[in-house]
Amino acid sequence: MDPVAAARLRRLQLVGVLSGFTAGAWLGAAEAPTKMVSLGISPVVISLTMVLGVFLARWSLPALLRGTSAVRADVRQVPHLVVWAALAGCLWAVANTLTIFAIRDIGLSIAFPLWNANSLLGILWGIVFFSELRDAGRARRLGVLGGAVVMFGGATFLAVASSTQAVAGHPARGVAAALAAGALWGTMYIPYRKAYLTGMNPLSFVTFFTIGEVGMMTAIALADRGGPAALLAELARARDVLFWLLLGGFVWVVGDLFQQYAAKYVGISRGIPLSNTNQLWGLLWGVLVFGELHGASGRTYAQVVGGSLLMALGAGGIALASATGPEHRRWQDAAAREGERYAVDPGYTRSALAGEGAAATARGRTWLDWLIVTAATAVFVALARGARVPDLALDWPAITALAVVMLALLGGTGLLLWRTTRFN
Amino acid sequence: MTSPPHPRLAAMLRDAQFWVPVAVLLLGLLVLQWIR
Repeated sequence: MDPVAAARLRRLQLVGVLSGFTAGAWLGAAEAPTKMVSLGISPVVISLTMVLGVFLARWSLPALLRGTSAVRADVRQVPHLVVWAALAGCLWAVANTLTIFAIRDIGLSIAFPLWNANSLLGILWGIVFFSELRDAGRARRLGVLGGAVVMFGGATFLAVASSTQAVAGHPARGVAAALAAGALWGTMYIPYRKAYLTGMNPLSFVTFFTIGEVGMMTAIALADRGGPAALLAELARARDVLFWLLLGGFVWVVGDLFQQYAAKYVGISRGIPLSNTNQLWGLLWGVLVFGELHGASGRTYAQVVGGSLLMALGAGGIALASATGPEHRRWQDAAAREGERYAVDPGYTRSALAGEGAAATARGRTWLDWLIVTAATAVFVALARGARVPDLALDWPAITALAVVMLALLGGTGLLLWRTTRFN
Repeated sequence: MTSPPHPRLAAMLRDAQFWVPVAVLLLGLLVLQWIR
């Protein structure tokens, strides 16, 4: 496989790093709508409803951006990766449910850093399976590993400071749930990286990811609630807040799409820690919009400032330790091995790794794409009409400021991604 | 000798990148069952 030109590689690395930071901002904001939900709804039902919003977004956004014909073209090239995409969706659904139980049993302060250790596991899988950080040089390896450890420390400070949850008192079960969630989320990146190294487009991957996600989440919700009748009754009771949960799912998908591009262009060892900056953004929403930490002690504020600085420092270290030519060639070797194992066209794999679309995938939108986009929009509009505006004290100037920053990141990174890769 | 009918399936079943996520998923479901 021919090496990618140095200037092109630098540009792709920049796209990947900015995608990671944009993912953090949008994934953090996705937590906000869940705060608008009145108490009394089962955590599993909240998770299921968000996943349904995710499902609508994951089918409509790819249809809008590339068209379903491009998804079909991808599947013809790499049909085996549909299995990995669905598997990754199952991993996500189980992990997300485990985090809810972990927060219940040990509180957010202990649970969050435990599952955020997923980045350390992701680095391990990146090295073992995908030749990441090989031939990267000592300084870059130190930048990534040191950055991930510093971010882990920062995450611990932030989680302790933002902890307001009452703890039910099942420490062993809670710790097991949080560690298992971290293991699932860290392992979920094996399918991500495998798909992108082989050449599957992130927008195609998420289309099948969500089938595993909805299937697994529905099975968990049915088992938890005791059958379809009980589940439907609970969904009906929650109908006036369904819109906010679906909206949370939609915002999460925007963040996750950027996370996928980060995993593709900077690898999972760098992409996961960068998108884990979502904890920082979640805290910003909590403090600025919902007035959390109001009247807190100086010690708490010191933990927040210290933790935020540590996370920013770690993320900066990782961002500056981007892959160079020798490491990228090791990625290409790993991609070539994948191509041989699964009989994938080398031209398809090579062009995807360089962020270029194969000519055959460049198609326009069809009536099916517009039908999917219209149907998803109609569901959101219908639920918005019946939505109740929650009676919460919100800081609207802060919401406006955060929304402007998020939209600027979306527009700026999205434009760069389009110009550099055409969303490949 | 003829080639196997589903070479991609055979490659998948020999692939550690398939079995590691499957094993972790099963582990996660067991933990979920335990803590519920």
